[in-house]
Formats: sequence, structure tokens, C-alpha cells
Amino acid sequence: MRIETLLFKEVVILPELFLGISLVYLVLHCTFLSIKKNYPLIQNSILYLGVLVLFLSCFLVLNDGLEVLEQSVLNDTIVNDYVSFSSKLVIGSLSLFCLLMIQPYITSQKINQFEYILLILFAVLGLFLLCSSNDLLTAYLAIELQSLAFYVLASFKRNSTYSVDAGIKYFILGAFSSSLFLFGSSLLYGVTGTINFEEFKDLFVNVFPGSYDTISTEISLFDFSLVQFGLVFILISLLFKLAIAPFHTWAPDVYEGSPSASTFFFAVVPKLAIFVLLLRIFYYSFFGFFESWRYFIVVIVVLSIIVGSFGGLEQRKLKSLLVYSSISHMGYALIAFSAGTLESIQMLLCYLIVYSFSGLCVWSIFILTRLKNNHLQKQNKDLTDLVLLGKSNYMLAIFFTTVLFSVAGFPPMIGFLVKISVFLTAVESSMFFVVLISILCSVIGTFYYIRLIKILYFEKVLVGKLYYPIQAQSSVLISFLFFLFLFLFINPTLLYLFSYKISLLVSMSI
Amino acid sequence: MIINILFYLFSIILLLSSLMVILVQNSIYSILFLVLSFISSAGILFLLKCEFLALMFIVIYVGAIAVLFLFVVMMLDLKTINSKKDTLKYFPFGAVIGGVFLTEILMVVGETFKSNPYNVSFLYNSHFNWYERIDTFTEIRSIGQVVYTEYVLQFLIAGNVLLLATIAAVVLTINTNVASDKKQVIFRQLSRNYKNVLIV
Repeated sequence: MRIETLLFKEVVILPELFLGISLVYLVLHCTFLSIKKNYPLIQNSILYLGVLVLFLSCFLVLNDGLEVLEQSVLNDTIVNDYVSFSSKLVIGSLSLFCLLMIQPYITSQKINQFEYILLILFAVLGLFLLCSSNDLLTAYLAIELQSLAFYVLASFKRNSTYSVDAGIKYFILGAFSSSLFLFGSSLLYGVTGTINFEEFKDLFVNVFPGSYDTISTEISLFDFSLVQFGLVFILISLLFKLAIAPFHTWAPDVYEGSPSASTFFFAVVPKLAIFVLLLRIFYYSFFGFFESWRYFIVVIVVLSIIVGSFGGLEQRKLKSLLVYSSISHMGYALIAFSAGTLESIQMLLCYLIVYSFSGLCVWSIFILTRLKNNHLQKQNKDLTDLVLLGKSNYMLAIFFTTVLFSVAGFPPMIGFLVKISVFLTAVESSMFFVVLISILCSVIGTFYYIRLIKILYFEKVLVGKLYYPIQAQSSVLISFLFFLFLFLFINPTLLYLFSYKISLLVSMSI
Repeated sequence: MIINILFYLFSIILLLSSLMVILVQNSIYSILFLVLSFISSAGILFLLKCEFLALMFIVIYVGAIAVLFLFVVMMLDLKTINSKKDTLKYFPFGAVIGGVFLTEILMVVGETFKSNPYNVSFLYNSHFNWYERIDTFTEIRSIGQVVYTEYVLQFLIAGNVLLLATIAAVVLTINTNVASDKKQVIFRQLSRNYKNVLIV
């Protein structure tokens, strides 16, 4: 799968470079085309151009080969290891799926500005850079790039008050959390004099090994409290971006208000990249402080699982239901994050990949079921809008049920395996109480998935809803995702090997 | 000594003016306080020998952004809204959280950064590094050298962020179909009553 003429070994950031340069070309192309031809509808062609560009940059990522295990370039600010390689691959394929799925939505909702696709591509560029960043400055700039694109994607429907409201809310809270990130990194820089993850690791793993408590009792060479302070701020800001429970209040409003295609994108794609940054900061550089930041995360885990499971019970809108489900799922992922063993990192990555793909499937079905006898502009779905889908579109209902069972964690799907292994890793590092609470809450959370399935099949209404037919390409993609869940349950080795290789390289430094 | 006094002076002005930005009801006053806070932070940067950054603060923030804000606020003709009720409602919670964070920060910073005890006594070894005095770059030159060599990727990402911001500003404000928006259907206008108006 490698073409020798395309091996630019020295240019490690070739995919990002390609994406950035082709973005500039796309901007020029679209602008001149629009002005010259008096604003034609170029939405579809730009979307397929975007798909092509993304596919080519994924190909460049794949083509990179990775003959060395780890390679840092550009003055150590970019690291190219298996973590960044695989997460870029996953993120690239997720956004490819996402772009292909939102095509009918964009056409039907008349989002006619070509910039929509460009903004999505900008966000993907930011996520790619975030995956391979190796210092706080690059990470900050990458976060800014992706979140700036998200703010505009949220407020893209200018004529809808909800959308503008969502954009403003997202912007203010995102700016707040970015400022927290900057404050934390300035504290870290003030104490240590560096912003590089590699140098943090050298300083805190090799020079001052061990956690805070052991050091302060033995020798007080160094006061670590300010480092911990900075770490807490960085943690809070990244959890804001992930919408985890004490910092989740913006998420239901923003997800509800923004156009569904944008919500689809920022509910599914960015979580993995932010978790990669969390892994790099907390597992790679600051693993010596494991004992001190673990407790914050355990408290946050319990809170977010409780909020996610109980908050979802009251929701009548499908989007808010999915938001609360994502809050609780991020909580489960954080359980694995706080366990701190090799297997826990592996299960974290497994869980995130499975979560992303099942989110992809759920949101695609959400976007593809377009009601026929309804107001065209209405984009929010109540739960009852899917009533008797089992009668009107039998296969789609089966797919939806399968994915919901997988998300809830029922056996013949991959969701069950990853969920149980997350709990097992937590038990292995003796977090019994957390596991108990989260299993109980998971039972409660299953209620709203099953209620959705009941609405799909067993509702006592005489007249169901009619839907527009689904295009061939979307149905092929959806059935591919459906078979992926079944296949991964029968043969999960593929996923486990992939994530095991990533986790080995993350934990090589520990 | 005098530098320390100036530093504290500027910091107090900065803190007070940035507090006033959010406390003052009239938005024009609050923007003027914002300008004051920018100027005092430029003063702090001058004291820390970051001349280029200080000048950039004055040129960009005071010269461009704050004046733009002033124009916008004067054009919008905002009414002063009495938001005392909300302030009272949220004040205790915000004050508790803010107070806890402030005390924690002050405690940790006070423990971590200690001043050199020999700084004022005659034991303090003061010397000039003459090489540094003779053979130095100006600040703008050194910033340029670092930005264009070591941090070239970050420079490019910042450029991309700017491009994205430009595209975003254009896409959120441009109006391509001017003709259809201004159309008024008289029938629809006359048949409106208060019952079928959607208020969001």
C-alpha cells in the first residue's frame, strides 16, 4: 500500500500541509467560481471536492509508513508516532463518513454557502494537528483552529434564532475554557520554564520521579503545588471541550440549537483528538502526578455518569437525549482514563473508537430520516417523530435498534465487550465503588435507549410517519456500519490489536 | 525600587479598571475602562522589557479594537439595561466560587514564588553582563528570528486561524440574495395578528 515516489520522509506533517494548502486552493476556487457565475449552487461539487481532499490526506497519513517508532520534528513541536498516526486515520475516516452523510441534509435545508464544507475541513485540520502536537503552544493553536470552526458551524443558519443563540453560547464558553487552558499552561511555563511534553516528561519522570506525596516527605527540592494547579486548569478546560458533567451545561443547548449537520460533526469527531491530547499531557508528561490528578477525575466520572443517566430520562427531544448519552459515555471513557494501567489505555481507545462509530451510525440515522408531511425547516426531532419506523422502514429500524443496543451495552454487539472491559480494568485497579455506581447508572441509562426502541416498534398509534427515501450511497454506508458492529463482536481482535499497539506506544514512556 | 513601585501601580490600575469594565452599567464607560486596562498592561510589559509587545498592545488593542468597539457601541445606541436583579441573584454563588479560587491561587503562588532575601542587602552580587549590553538584537528582530525559524509551524497555524476567522466573518455577514429579503407581501402583512406570531 505504499508508493515509493510519495515518501516524503522529512516532511512528517505532509498530510496536514496538503490539507492546509488545498484548503487555500478551495477557498480561491470557490470564491472565483461564485463571483464569476453569479452565485451558482456549487454545494454538492464542493462537498465531493472536500471528500476527495480528505481521502487524499488520509491516504497520505496511511502512506507515511512509520518505520521509526517515534519521530519529533519542527523543533520538537510535532511528534509522529503510532498514536497520532492511528488517531488521524480514525478521525479522517469519521469525517469522511460524516461529510458523505450530511449531503442530503445540506441539500434539503438549503445551506447553500460553500463555506460550510470549508469550515468542516478547517476543523479536521485542527484535529489532525491536535493529534500530533507535542507542546502546549501547538496544542492550543490546534484547539483554537477546530473550535473556531465549530462556533461558526453552530451559528451557520443565520436566519434561525436558535442557531445564532447556540453559536454565541458555544463561543463564550469555548473562549472561557480556552482561557483556562492558557492560564494553566502559563503556570506550568512559569514553574518549569518549558512547554514541551517531552521535556515535561524528562523533568517529572526522570529528574523528579514519583508522585507529589513521596517527594515532599523525602526532600523538598521542588514545590509541586503550582504544577498541580496548572494541571487542574488544563484538565478543566479540556473537560469543557468534551462536555463532561460539571462542565456540561452548555452542551444540550448548543447541540439542540445548531443545525443538525453541525451537531453531527461536533458530537462525533472531536472527542478522540481531545482524548489523545489528554493522554499526551497526563499519561506521557505528567504521569508522576498520577495520584494527585486521579481523584479529580474519579469524582468527575461519578458526577458525569449520574448526570448523563438521570438527565436523559426527562428528555423529549432526540438531540438532547443523545447529548446526555454522550455525557455518560464520556464518563465511562474517563473511568478507563483514571485507572492508569496499560490495559486501561487500550480499553479507553477501544471505547472511544467504538463510541465514535456508533455515534456516527446513530446520528446518520437521525439525519437520514427526513419527515415528509412536516414543515421543511423543522430540524429538531421529538422522540415521537420516529414512531413506527419499524413499519415504514424496516431495515433502518433494525439498524437503529442494533446500534442502540450496542450503545446501551447488550451482548451480541461490540458495545457490550468494550463496556465490560472498561469496568474490568477499573476493577483491576481496585476502583470497586466507582464501578458499582457506574454499573447501576448504566442500568438506569439503558431505560432511555429501550424506550426509543419501544417507540420504533410497539407504539399504539394508527398512523405512522412517512419519510423521504434514502439515497443509495448513504444506505450502503449505514449497512457497512451495521455489519461492523456485528463483525467486531464476533472478531474483536482487530480492534484490540489496533488499540493495543497504540497503548503500548503511549505507555512506553511510563 | 522605582520599577517595583511602578509595577504595583500599573497592576492596581489594571485590576481596578478590568473590574470596572464588568461593573459599570454604561457601555461607553466600560469600553473606556477597557482602554485604560490595555494601556496599563502595556505599561507592565514595558517594565518587563517587552517593548515590542507593549507597542503592539497599544497599536492593536487601543488603536484598532477599542476604537472599533466605541464606534459600534455609539452606532448601536444601546439602552442601559438595569440588570441589578440578576446580579443579586447570581452574586452569592459566584462570589463563593471566585473567593475560593482566588484564595487558593494566592496561597499557592505565595508559597511558590519567593523573592531573593539577599536582593536588598549588600551581599547581593550585582553585575553587568557587558557582552549582553554591547551585542544584542532588538526585540522585534529576535522575535522575528524565532518566529520564522523555530516556530514556523505555529506561525502557519496562526495564519490559518486568521484565514478561518476571515471566512467566518464573511459567511456570517454576507447577504447574497438581497432582492428577496426586502420583499413585502401586503396580504401577509395585513393578515397577521398577535395570535399567529411566533415569538422566540
